[in-house]
Amino acid sequence: MALPLPLGLTHSEVAFLAEMELVTVVPRQRLESIDLLSGKTPPLRPPHRTDLPLWLALLLKKQRRANIVPPPWMHPASLADIVHRETKVHPQAFSEPMPTASRARQSEPGYAGRIGGSGDNNSGEVILSPPFQSNCTSAAPAGYLPYHWLEVAEALVTHASDDLGGNTSEIRGLLRDLVEVRAAKMRDSAETLGAEGQGGVVSLRGVGAMELAENRGFVLGVVDGVRKIGGAVETARREREEEMDLGGGEGGRGGYGGDGDSDDDMGI
Amino acid sequence: MSYYDIDAILTDAEKIPCTFQLDIPDLGYLDNTPNQPLKAGTKVSLPLWLAEMLVIANTGGPDNKTFVTFDLPRALGNDVVQALKADPRAVPLRDQSAHFYGLATHMMDLSEEQELGSVLRKTFVTRAAEISLHARKVGGVSAKGKGKEEGSNLGIGGAGEEFLRGLDEWERKLFRKAHDGAKSGKEWMESIKKN
Repeated sequence: MALPLPLGLTHSEVAFLAEMELVTVVPRQRLESIDLLSGKTPPLRPPHRTDLPLWLALLLKKQRRANIVPPPWMHPASLADIVHRETKVHPQAFSEPMPTASRARQSEPGYAGRIGGSGDNNSGEVILSPPFQSNCTSAAPAGYLPYHWLEVAEALVTHASDDLGGNTSEIRGLLRDLVEVRAAKMRDSAETLGAEGQGGVVSLRGVGAMELAENRGFVLGVVDGVRKIGGAVETARREREEEMDLGGGEGGRGGYGGDGDSDDDMGI
Repeated sequence: MSYYDIDAILTDAEKIPCTFQLDIPDLGYLDNTPNQPLKAGTKVSLPLWLAEMLVIANTGGPDNKTFVTFDLPRALGNDVVQALKADPRAVPLRDQSAHFYGLATHMMDLSEEQELGSVLRKTFVTRAAEISLHARKVGGVSAKGKGKEEGSNLGIGGAGEEFLRGLDEWERKLFRKAHDGAKSGKEWMESIKKN
């Protein structure tokens, strides 16, 4: 019997994980480094900017001990640009995910190496991949949505609205637009999944964690249904093919090669 | 499919029209003629689990006949398939059979219907997109709220009511999944404001 727990992470779990994201704060008070299980937090020295995990930043913000610097991609211009890209430029695909941190190589102009990668060994920085890469600090690039975009943006809009430069309602509206546009794309992906010749594959590049949590059940349900429907057709096709092979193989697979590729992927 | 899957069991109980190929003694009561043998050529509706066995097994006689031959049930008949080709969203599948897709996949296993598979697949994904739309709309994330639809938790109400009533069991499950996702998304949005 199936477990009643849903597959994957729930919304609150995703939101919890998103609190690991680093955000930039401007402290108002001094605070010595705190020795936590996950490592020491940097000491806070006003007015120097520091990167803190979101949960700590929100805590300090609520106690009025710090101000949060919103990440550049949350600026209304950046969000409007993304909305424009999602609706007009690429109406089918999700917008590009955040690029990995890179730095121009001095020795080879025109090439970029990863920060801490082989290009600059002396930097001493650690290579970070998306969950730990700081996508929500003030150093992050504008015009891209990080993996935890919705969670971080909602938290900041709700709890740090006075740090957003008076654009809260505009940002909120743009976020709503983004959510709706991307949800519509997720819905349309269902039709792509079942289209002949598509192979039952749809690209989820650039989809955020919260959107995945929301649509996981539905998309998996569609894939499963298509697989079951395709399964019967596929078994029949295999049987016919075997018969043909046994019967001298004169015809090959010419007659039903047309939808063969898509069915191969479906009939697991 | 699990042994305990209620939907699989109920699907197996769907009747499909069969024609007997042999005279069978003492089965006359199936055709309301209790005292005579069941004649070859009699049409009887048999549940899927029984029909499946009888269609696959052969009598072992010299001509290798099967016990029964079967036709596609009315739910998968030409009328329905043509209607699905025209507009998948306009057909209330539940009126045809509560386990439409389950029945259809079973029948595709048994018969050599080339066309049915692609029609069904197109139907399923087209309706899935529509289901997702309804699941999100009713009681979903839309913060603006549209009158009576907003408070509804069951996904019933408003324009989609008729479409949603026509969903078969697979689609109902899909609707529930999509609706649960949208609902917990909304709950999460509200929970942010509380703490």
